[in-house]
Amino acid sequence: MIGWVLLGLFLLFFPYLHTWPAASSFLDSVDNTTGLGIGGTFGVFQMTTLGVWLVILTGLNILTGYSGQISLGHGAFVAAGAYITAILLDQTATPLVVAILAAAIGTAAIGFAIGIPSLRLTGPYLAIATLAIIVSMPQFLKWDKVSEWTKGSTGIDLPSADVPTFLGLDRFMDDSQWLYYSVMVPAVIMTVLAWNLTRSRIGRAFIALRDSEIGAQQMGVNVSLYKTLAFAISALYAGVGGGLFAYTQDFVSPDSFGIFQSIEFLVVIVIGGLASTLGSVLAAIFFVYQDGVVLRLAELIGFPERLRWAFFGVGLILIMIVAPNGVAGLVQRLKTLRPATVLEMLRQARPSAMISRLRNHPLAERLGLGRRDEHDPGDEES
Amino acid sequence: MEEFAQQVVTGVSIGSIYAIIALAIVLIYRSTSVVNFAQGEMAMFTTFITWSFLLRMDFWPAFLLTIVVAFFIGAALEIVVMRPVERAPHLNSIVVTLGLLAIFNSVALWRYGPLQKPFPDPDNWCIGDSCLEIFQGDAFTAGAVTISRLNVGILFVALMIMVALFLMFNYTKLGLAMRATALNPVASQLVGINVSRMLALGWGLAAAVGAVAGVMTASSLNLSIDMMAGILIFGFAGAVLGGLDSPGGAIIGGLSVGVFQVLAGNYIDSQIDLMAAFAIIFIVLVIRPTGLFGRRLVRRV
Repeated sequence: MIGWVLLGLFLLFFPYLHTWPAASSFLDSVDNTTGLGIGGTFGVFQMTTLGVWLVILTGLNILTGYSGQISLGHGAFVAAGAYITAILLDQTATPLVVAILAAAIGTAAIGFAIGIPSLRLTGPYLAIATLAIIVSMPQFLKWDKVSEWTKGSTGIDLPSADVPTFLGLDRFMDDSQWLYYSVMVPAVIMTVLAWNLTRSRIGRAFIALRDSEIGAQQMGVNVSLYKTLAFAISALYAGVGGGLFAYTQDFVSPDSFGIFQSIEFLVVIVIGGLASTLGSVLAAIFFVYQDGVVLRLAELIGFPERLRWAFFGVGLILIMIVAPNGVAGLVQRLKTLRPATVLEMLRQARPSAMISRLRNHPLAERLGLGRRDEHDPGDEES
Repeated sequence: MEEFAQQVVTGVSIGSIYAIIALAIVLIYRSTSVVNFAQGEMAMFTTFITWSFLLRMDFWPAFLLTIVVAFFIGAALEIVVMRPVERAPHLNSIVVTLGLLAIFNSVALWRYGPLQKPFPDPDNWCIGDSCLEIFQGDAFTAGAVTISRLNVGILFVALMIMVALFLMFNYTKLGLAMRATALNPVASQLVGINVSRMLALGWGLAAAVGAVAGVMTASSLNLSIDMMAGILIFGFAGAVLGGLDSPGGAIIGGLSVGVFQVLAGNYIDSQIDLMAAFAIIFIVLVIRPTGLFGRRLVRRV
């Protein structure tokens, strides 16, 4: 409970932290040592984008983590949301909230429409079908027939977000702080809603059909309805995220949404932890701050700048080996560790047992050091 | 009509490279049910290895040497990197291959730089004085339809790989063991097949086929670190269109993706050629959810 209160207070006062000299110098020193980027106005903006990605990644986690459908083209939904918002703001006098709601509904409808044909596809086939959507997206947005609205490859430039003057709000906050709150409030609400959803009847139906479609059907889950529903909900989140994205960046262009961005979405939710709200949060943190930290590490260890993606790749692979259920899974495992259990584990970890475990490692076997146990745990699966 | 024929021929020659990379993807998918996203970058990397060999020797020896090196790189990757995540959830192996993609891309950038490098066309095959002129020389023409020698050569290489793999999978003991492993790893282990070795072999073979695709791509474009990014996506589309577990399907799928792309660009709207091509792929998938030649998955409950 106290943790939640602290987190709430932190999120509430974060934009003002850097205006307080002591805290500001602390944030700056954190930035200088870790490369995170949380200090100053830039830190506020980073945190704002964190809110945007949190919404998007939470949505993707509902689709992929809970209902088990892979989407490699989630960026296309984000693009749809961003463009609907940007076009409404650019061409009409729609208020922001209405524009984002329209984006949410429009994108959810698109998600539903794409979800129906995708009912027949699973695994890699579904992945490629969704990949097809994101590959086609930039071409569609640049097409002559729609460029009247989308402004082709130049993209849509929106006026930058200013703090409104009513209630004297502008006396309390500057533009970056206003932007922070207008993103963070919906982001927190939508995350909490998602958390509730996944523990409701709908969430349990998603999990059931992910684990066994036939089993779920037996239990009375309407498989096609829930599969398309997962698509629609996740697209709705992407639509809201896209709208917030357009609002915070005050610019959208077809190149804002690449294939590799969509692939990165998938990577970070697997790293963060599938089917876990904490996982989505960690994924968003990873998505936003990974860049600065890896760059800083590169500086510290002294490897060339060009190798930074290699470093990232090695990190990915190591996390997947060490934490197969993502960082959230690791946290979950650590939570169950009580001092007593640790002691018990140490007592049981006899050196001989450890050696035999090492001997059974595939690498040891390959080097000819191994000894086959009479009982291979892998055979029990069938 | 002749124009149409020319479009198809152009499509087929573009598609032949997609077909080779699709074949490499299918090889790994068949033996390990992992879709290897690093396939394109592995091919790019091994092509840089060819390039450094080419500074010291002729084309074909360099090519063969690369294939051998690529085979060992692929097998080593399976043993060191893929094996630890074998039993983890499926998405994890995909993330690991994405990690490999990042590593190969960045190591190539660091080692060879971001600039394009000129890459020679393959030499013709000569034994003594008689040469099989399929890589260099004037374009072939039939009526108004022309196709360059290099494209004929690439198509020829794609077909040769497919025939070689077909013979290996269907008429050798090793091929039988690999098929058995793909079909049922546990049962294969029980009859004495070294499953781990077969998986490593699958990755090695795929890396070798990928190396061929890389060299062919570099000959028809130029050698650069991002040359495979687009091709990988079309290779994927080809593999999926043909059915992820069918090598013949991969070839046909890759070629049809090339043809779709060219025809859509010419007859629908050149601005949306990718969109049209992918719309066709999407429709085909919805009608046949496991690709044109893929086996239907029947799951026992």
